[in-house]
Amino acid sequence: MRLSRLASVVAALGASALLISGCSSSSGGGTTSASPSDQVLRIAMTEPGADVVKVWQQVKSEYEAAHPGWTVQYNFQNDDIYSTVGLPSLLSGGNAPDIYFEWSGNRLQTRVADGYAASIGDQLKAKGVTDKYVDGAFGGTTVDGKTVMLPLAKDVSNVIWYNKDIFAKLGLTAPTTWAEFDALNAKLKAAGITPYAMGNKDLWPAGNWNAHVLSRIVGEQAYADALNMKSPIDSADWVAAMDKMKQIHDSGWINDSVNSISDNEGYTLFFTGKAAMTPIGSWLVDVRNGQSPNFNMDWFNLPPIDGGKGNQQSVMGVSTGLVVNAKSAKIDQAIDYFSVLSGDDIQKAFVKAGGSSLSKAGAASGLNPLSERLLKLIETAPEIVSPPDTGYNLKVADALNTATSAILGGAMSSQDALTQAQQKIDALK
Amino acid sequence: MKPNRGWTPYLFVLPAFLVFAVAILLPVLATFGLSFTRWDGSGPLKFKGIANYTRALHDSVYISSYWHVLIYVVATIVLEVLLGLLLAGAVSARPGTTFYRVAFFIPVMLPLVVIAVLWSFVLNPDFGLLNAGLDAVGLGGWKRVWLGDPNTALLAISVISGWIFAGFYMAIFYAGFARIPKDIIESARLDGAGEWTIFRRMKVPLVRGITEIAVLLCVTGGIQVFDLVFVLTNGGPYNTTEVPTTYLVKTVFRDQDVGYGSALAVILTVVIALIGLLYSRLRRKTSDVEF
Repeated sequence: MRLSRLASVVAALGASALLISGCSSSSGGGTTSASPSDQVLRIAMTEPGADVVKVWQQVKSEYEAAHPGWTVQYNFQNDDIYSTVGLPSLLSGGNAPDIYFEWSGNRLQTRVADGYAASIGDQLKAKGVTDKYVDGAFGGTTVDGKTVMLPLAKDVSNVIWYNKDIFAKLGLTAPTTWAEFDALNAKLKAAGITPYAMGNKDLWPAGNWNAHVLSRIVGEQAYADALNMKSPIDSADWVAAMDKMKQIHDSGWINDSVNSISDNEGYTLFFTGKAAMTPIGSWLVDVRNGQSPNFNMDWFNLPPIDGGKGNQQSVMGVSTGLVVNAKSAKIDQAIDYFSVLSGDDIQKAFVKAGGSSLSKAGAASGLNPLSERLLKLIETAPEIVSPPDTGYNLKVADALNTATSAILGGAMSSQDALTQAQQKIDALK
Repeated sequence: MKPNRGWTPYLFVLPAFLVFAVAILLPVLATFGLSFTRWDGSGPLKFKGIANYTRALHDSVYISSYWHVLIYVVATIVLEVLLGLLLAGAVSARPGTTFYRVAFFIPVMLPLVVIAVLWSFVLNPDFGLLNAGLDAVGLGGWKRVWLGDPNTALLAISVISGWIFAGFYMAIFYAGFARIPKDIIESARLDGAGEWTIFRRMKVPLVRGITEIAVLLCVTGGIQVFDLVFVLTNGGPYNTTEVPTTYLVKTVFRDQDVGYGSALAVILTVVIALIGLLYSRLRRKTSDVEF
């Protein structure tokens, strides 16, 4: 009797599972149809600063003026919420966005695979949008040879920021070789100054930094292959590369609190002179402008590593942009919106508001000097390396970033940390 | 009196059932269903059979998260229930302890996230109150990266949890002690028993039923701990404070692996249910004296 009841329950639950599967499969695309059900263009993105929001409102006004009867509806969300639960919920829910913000790499590939990214290259060319952008702006916006994203920005995910006052006081200059870099760290330590400040509680800050070092040493292809689970992550090359991070811990070159504080707390340590350098991305300019506008800082790219198999001038970076939902019935309207968005005055307004622009007009309108050099760095980079958490499988990225954090915390040897990471990756296969 | 129509009683139950179905039953069934799939939260679902469950059994981080939560539960039984019991004994031993009762209970009323943020400032290794205090009293050698050291992070979280919830259990035990007839306590005092003896030999045995419930609450609540760990360490350093709930949230929301996360949720639910069941079986009948 009990067994038959149990069987009934299991059958009912199984049926419900299939029902859910069936429902979700058929309705996975949100509400889309062959012809627009309304005249609202829905756009979802991460929340920019207040001044930049005003420019987005200007785009909306210009689009609505040029397309009577149509309305643009923005959905701005906090970065973390948007990138995790926000966008997937919007895409699979009712009134899915017609246009949405996305990062290049693995995320963009997933959207294409799931049928949420329309190929828009031909339409952008036909409307003259492509010609308005600087050379290389569309790098990272293609998947399988098709352009699926209008670029908004190219973020350098990791350079070494330094405190110019401390460097000037100690007579230090930006290193051009890894040997000079080591010597620089040693001089700072000898002067009683912690070379690096970093808040790595969320794993990605040190994860990005180390990934750049690793790619320089093992080579970009080997780096990509390992993160794509095509080759082991615990080979001798990787262990030797990981020892660079171990040296940083063993030499006491980084704050003891590295794994217990957030990235923002790490920035604070840097801005308050508790350390001479912080390895982080281009967004530090905005953080500095908000938190400590008079702080005197500059940056240099990771110095070349002798014997490294990768391109020693590589840059770690990621493209961001807007994607047109392939399931939307408003693709033509979305392209029209992009046409308005890429207008010269609009792009200049973005730059003036503190945002970024990859259009020719925007780039020529005078970015912050630090940002302008960063943009130049990524535009002219001979090789762009994707950060683990945006370019690759998130679980694999987590395994590598956790290994990095264990080494920076002095908890494991390079070999042990990578062996543990490999075990986690093996479990995913 | 019998209803005119056979289905009338069901109509009365219907509103409550609908609320239950929408808020509890459907999400539970959906989670169970999704646990057999591979789904990133927006793309198509792929049926994977029991692959997610097999994967969970080989997931070292997930398995170690149960060890962490076990350590946390054991620590909080001491730091919350036992300490709460002792506090209740102290504040019930003499009159005029209202201030202390309120003071001990205040942390319970604050949102957990607020407390976690406050404590993260206290424990901050660079400018935190604790390390600065140790320096000030000449104990600089004891300074630690409290939340960044695998040897202290989980302990620090347990201590904070104890600081919050000891007051809660104190209130429960205090209410239990208040129900014990005063004449029993008075006669013990007349017989020469001290307050500690009365507490140990009389009060504690007389609230045994409450103690069992308190331990059950502590155990089941401990397994579900999330806010404190999420804000203070986010499972770090190197997954050494990872508990099932933080890992589950990372799997679903960060990794967008909804199918696998659902399987982890189902396993966690089963574990909690089994512990509750086991506990109720082990619980001795407390029929001797009930207050």
